[in-house]
Amino acid sequence: MRLFAAINVEAVVIFAIVLSVTLGITYWASKRASSAVGFYAAGRQITGAQNGLAISGDYLSAASFLGIAGLIMLYGFDGFLYSIGFLVAFLTVMFLLAERMRNAGKFTIADVLAFRLRERPARTAAAIGTLAVVAFYLIAQMVGAGVLIQALVGIDFTPAVILTGVFMLCYVVFGGMVATTWVQIIKAVLLMAGITVMSIFVLGKVGFNPIELFNRAESNTGPETTFSLGPGTFLANPIDTVSLGLALVLGTAGLPHILMRFFTVPNAKAARSSVVWAMFLIGFFYLLTTFIGFGARAFLGEAGVAAAGTGGNLAAPNLAAFLGGGEGTFGGDLFLAVIAGVAFATILAVVAGLVLSASAAVSHDVWSNIIRKGKDSEHEEVVVAKIAALSIGAIAIIVAVIGGSGLNVSFMVGLAFAVAASANFPALLLALTWRRFNTTGAVTGVLFGVISSIALVIVSPKVWAGADSVTGSPIGWELANPGIVSIPLGFIGCWLGTVLSTERGAERTYHELYVRSETGLGAEKALVGR
Amino acid sequence: MGEPVYDYERIERSPEFQELVRKRRSFVLPATIFFLAYYMGFILLTGYAEDFMASSVYEGLTVGYCLALTQFVMVFVLGIMYLRRADRDYDPLAQKVVDMAEGGEPGRFERETAATQAEVPR
Repeated sequence: MRLFAAINVEAVVIFAIVLSVTLGITYWASKRASSAVGFYAAGRQITGAQNGLAISGDYLSAASFLGIAGLIMLYGFDGFLYSIGFLVAFLTVMFLLAERMRNAGKFTIADVLAFRLRERPARTAAAIGTLAVVAFYLIAQMVGAGVLIQALVGIDFTPAVILTGVFMLCYVVFGGMVATTWVQIIKAVLLMAGITVMSIFVLGKVGFNPIELFNRAESNTGPETTFSLGPGTFLANPIDTVSLGLALVLGTAGLPHILMRFFTVPNAKAARSSVVWAMFLIGFFYLLTTFIGFGARAFLGEAGVAAAGTGGNLAAPNLAAFLGGGEGTFGGDLFLAVIAGVAFATILAVVAGLVLSASAAVSHDVWSNIIRKGKDSEHEEVVVAKIAALSIGAIAIIVAVIGGSGLNVSFMVGLAFAVAASANFPALLLALTWRRFNTTGAVTGVLFGVISSIALVIVSPKVWAGADSVTGSPIGWELANPGIVSIPLGFIGCWLGTVLSTERGAERTYHELYVRSETGLGAEKALVGR
Repeated sequence: MGEPVYDYERIERSPEFQELVRKRRSFVLPATIFFLAYYMGFILLTGYAEDFMASSVYEGLTVGYCLALTQFVMVFVLGIMYLRRADRDYDPLAQKVVDMAEGGEPGRFERETAATQAEVPR
């Protein structure tokens, strides 16, 4: 097997620095991750500002950095729609879930559902929702990692995926949430610094006049261009645009790896301040995606579109090489290597957060509470969590390697958001706010959401748009994004299940969850000391 | 180490808790409706009013981009507004409820709920 193509030496050095720093942190964190609260929630000792950075690090995936910059370069305005949806979503998180989750929960989404609903069905439903979201999101990120490392460093796809998977597992298994948090914080700082420097370079080339950048981007297009400063190029069907918009703004509030971060802070006040920190950091980042995407369009032009590859993922690294002085020059290669290193750190931080949230669902919900019915020791639960992380990581590596670089990354991320918005979000929101909501409602809601979003994606034209497909979708379904149908179905499932069942009097009443989620009375405390 | 048991029904009925929930809801509910409407309005314009969104405000700057930038402003403004209200109004009220529940003054709730029973018939 050929392991290396043309190795980029600068990139390898920078990757080695990123890896050794993060492994050092993992070693330091390993002593603090032995207890359950240490492993899943970093002892709840993360401050609001730190958690805000970590949320940004957890949230801004390679799809955000390279994917959106590429989409803006290829399609202009329509690419920027993603940035807006991903940001506005944090208002949903802040107003509806963040503080309530911190007050009511312990380690997982399921804790909040199981608080007032029957334990086993509620945890099973929540675990299904969590694992479905993580499966799609994780495989998408692993494939993205392989493709990028192959293109940027010259390591082939398969070893690149394995490398990413092994390091991700090191952070999670040895360092738990403490290591994952600090990897995410470092990544957020690197990513913010990287995109800021790139934006300053881009703006410097147009005399720090953004309007001039817009003009140049628009004029640097060919006759066949897809680029536009107005809408309708990438998302041609208006219903699809609305459907995507809905999934983006509600999906974030159902992402298990993001919601889990609220359990790492000492109290609801810190949870709130961490969302505001995250909002400003993420908002600043997404504003700058405009400069990167438009800069790539303005300076690399129509020729750069081909060089940017499928989905435009290489637009940002190519722009970095150009800004540094051009490919082949020392400055160009160095800037490219730095941005590649930032992208690598970005992927590692996101996949570590995803694996941790999935392993918590398997060990805390399925193993400890459903199979062992709470009779296991804390030590056993943490060991199971580590085994679960290893298994999930191994499966993700195998699927990514078998699926290969042909798997469509943005489609899988879109699916993850659709499942999160249609299954996890309705059940969580109603458990916290609807007095009548019951176990049957939660189970039917999650199943409706998961099944409808996956089924609608399977019949969508994106899946059937291969060379052999003449008609597109086999049943004439035209929407690529299922949200506009699957999100209402998730809520309807919750409602139908609730009103049709006769179940009354769950284990603990809504009074307790209501008082606790609003005031923090009886909420899980942070570990004391250190 | 048993968890302390609180009388959640009584806490829920207490005027302090009701005030907390009312105050928070009076901001969060309209703010949520506003931001969802403003965001979905923008998305609908993007889908159904392409020409309007693509029209130029100043050279390459389009109506669509200007409206997109107002979404960022909305997020930052609503975020700060909520943070200030929470620190100033909601946190002290929530702390009051927690203190009363934890503070070993079991009679306190009874007295206060009894005092308000005339106004709030059950």
